[in-house]
Amino acid sequence: MDQNEEKVEEIFVQEGVLLLKGPTSHMEYMKLTGTLYITRYEKHENEYSKIFIEWKPNENLTIDSDIQDQEWAVVNTVEKRTRTLSGSLIPEEANRSKYLRVNFDTIKSFKVADNGRRILFNDGSGDTICTFSFQNGNSTCFIASLRQHIKTAPSRRDKNLYIVMGELGNNEKQIETSFKTLSLFPDDHGYMWNLVRNFPHRPYETTMEAFSKVANIGNYFWNFYFLEYLIVYNERPLDDETKEVLNKSIIAIESATTTHTQDDYEVIANVPKLPDRKDCPRSKPLTKEQWLDLQNCEGKIEDVDGMKLLIFRGTQWMTMTKTQEDNFSDYRERKSLIEKDVNRTDRAYDFYAGDNNPHLQLLNDILMTYVMYNFDLGYVQGMSDLLSPILYLLQDEVDAFWCFVGFMEKVLSNFDIDQAGMKEQLQHLHTLLAFTEPELSTYLDNHDSGNMFFCFRWLLVWFKRELSQEDVMKLWEVLWTGLPCQNFHLLICLAILETEKRALMDNNYGFTEILKHINELSLKLNVSFLLNKAEGIYRQIEEATHANDSVRDIVGLPKLENGNMDSPNTASFTYLESSADHASVNIDTNEVCYERGISNSYL
Amino acid sequence: MAKTYDYLFKLLLIGDSGVGKTCVLFRFSEDAFNTTFISTIGIDFKIRTIELDGKKIKLQIWDTAGQERFRTITTAYYRGAMGIMLVYDITNEKSFENIKNWIRNIEENASADVEKMLLGNKCELEEKRQVSKERGEQLAVEYGIKFFETSAKASIRVEEAFFTLAKDIKTKMDKKLVSFLFY
Repeated sequence: MDQNEEKVEEIFVQEGVLLLKGPTSHMEYMKLTGTLYITRYEKHENEYSKIFIEWKPNENLTIDSDIQDQEWAVVNTVEKRTRTLSGSLIPEEANRSKYLRVNFDTIKSFKVADNGRRILFNDGSGDTICTFSFQNGNSTCFIASLRQHIKTAPSRRDKNLYIVMGELGNNEKQIETSFKTLSLFPDDHGYMWNLVRNFPHRPYETTMEAFSKVANIGNYFWNFYFLEYLIVYNERPLDDETKEVLNKSIIAIESATTTHTQDDYEVIANVPKLPDRKDCPRSKPLTKEQWLDLQNCEGKIEDVDGMKLLIFRGTQWMTMTKTQEDNFSDYRERKSLIEKDVNRTDRAYDFYAGDNNPHLQLLNDILMTYVMYNFDLGYVQGMSDLLSPILYLLQDEVDAFWCFVGFMEKVLSNFDIDQAGMKEQLQHLHTLLAFTEPELSTYLDNHDSGNMFFCFRWLLVWFKRELSQEDVMKLWEVLWTGLPCQNFHLLICLAILETEKRALMDNNYGFTEILKHINELSLKLNVSFLLNKAEGIYRQIEEATHANDSVRDIVGLPKLENGNMDSPNTASFTYLESSADHASVNIDTNEVCYERGISNSYL
Repeated sequence: MAKTYDYLFKLLLIGDSGVGKTCVLFRFSEDAFNTTFISTIGIDFKIRTIELDGKKIKLQIWDTAGQERFRTITTAYYRGAMGIMLVYDITNEKSFENIKNWIRNIEENASADVEKMLLGNKCELEEKRQVSKERGEQLAVEYGIKFFETSAKASIRVEEAFFTLAKDIKTKMDKKLVSFLFY
């Protein structure tokens, strides 16, 4: 083949890198400073991996250019480029032999040494292929970039050693670069804006239904992508233009959730009306092509990922010495608890199965990083359950960490030291149940279960223990949208309770049987059915003229203006017989409410 | 519905996270050991009916989350417990040291005459042992309670422990009944 059109993409360029050790062919360049690249060759024969590391000495060095290697080409720009490889070389390409190029088929692991200033690439047989020394800064950004394209896992024995698992596949790649969307946004304004603009127009009845039926990864991904975006948007610096668009989009989304025109109640003022929903079909899931298009901008990503990884890798726990650890009991205890829990998180799933599974190490590392990220909170049981599906989906340590941070922000109060957040949620659940299912609510009160403790597990880990991995992901992505209302997870609880109402009441179940029955629903629940039902319940609450403010407040509906005196901020259980009867029972302290129903449990 | 038992005893398993409470319970209720462990969130219970002195005793055994954070929830279940198994892990010094905290927790939340027992679990892991059997025995003597080293995995003395606890509760109950009837 005379003309071999080959596309080379420089993924990453690092100046000021010294070649400490290399193959004998490059003896003459050792101890010279040069440039280190991560490159991708779109069309390359005989090699499985498209990803390479390349190094070339600085141009100002005079190098013997006798040797001509057909496969090498001069790399002198940071842009994506097309070049021609042929027998007739342009002059500067005569120097190609200077390049040290190693394919990731050959590299089996790499090790970071000297506080990240040195990186050693190994061939897996105990030999080092090449060693580089970073003269400016360290290898952090280089590795961050590399790990977007190469799947790695930290070694169990050596925290500085990364096992190369291979190139990330297309699907994985789609997922693992999800965080890039954040930094891509300013550069790919048009596309994102379209997503944002279309969002409120999508009818959420069909959205919810579609979400619940989601089967393909693309759709999952679309949602994940958008959600992460919403979850973490305020976590990182954005330019003003981005902020503006984001604010607009959030207002638009909010209005989508609050402006249902109903004749029998007043729509809150100054929220623009939505256009007729029928005319606006739901957007198609993100296609692979669209996604790949989004990945092309680079400069920004380098910074963001580099920054993320600096924070991430730079955290204290990675560098904690034995003595430090011995003298730091809080840290030690958390570490040990995480180890215990990681070893019993979703081990039945292939992804986490088996001894020495690298994914367990990732799970452990992310949780340890989180402990240092939020040391006051520390590690609380249940967190590993929240992280597990995220890591399974994203497969990348950094992305999974930040996604987990975003998720934790949503459920932080579940892990309060005094469990106040859980207590409040259980109370809210009771308030809602008393409104939607007064018969069941009264039954529970009379059977020592008015405290709703039997729903504790549901709420703590968002049904993680009740559903299969796939169903959990379906449910969480719906819940992360914040649609159709806040605290929608409580409405999922209502949907389950309503479904089980007859079983509980007809069998005259008491305190223990209720708990047992509820615990045994695990893996028997139908997510689509429950989502459907839960949304139906929301519509009912929304439209019910007799819904008092404490009920409306829980689901984020505005207060009614008919003089309902019930303050949503006081912990109150409210029982409503009808819209005309606003008799409510207020109990002063949380504790009293909470203890309700326990007192006779064991007599 | 006819009662299928003569007595119903409510028992409780408490102790640090990861000491093997759920495994001990699983061994006793199902006579099985699951290598795919899973941490307990919230609270659960299992039932096993045993026979003692010709009487059918239904044991309702509650399993709790070990982490301190969840105690405000789990202690609500202490009430009405007739027997409590305090479990530590013989390969984990800290879990043994924490037994005194768990005892205090019981004193604050359970009825005063609750029957207690100390279990040093994972005794099959002799090579990893951090807490000697003597220390376990000594602590049990201090609190005036019985002590067993158990292994849920190797099925060592789990059955014996539960039977002993049930028997002690029954004896206590019978005594109370006698004193109630005759004095």
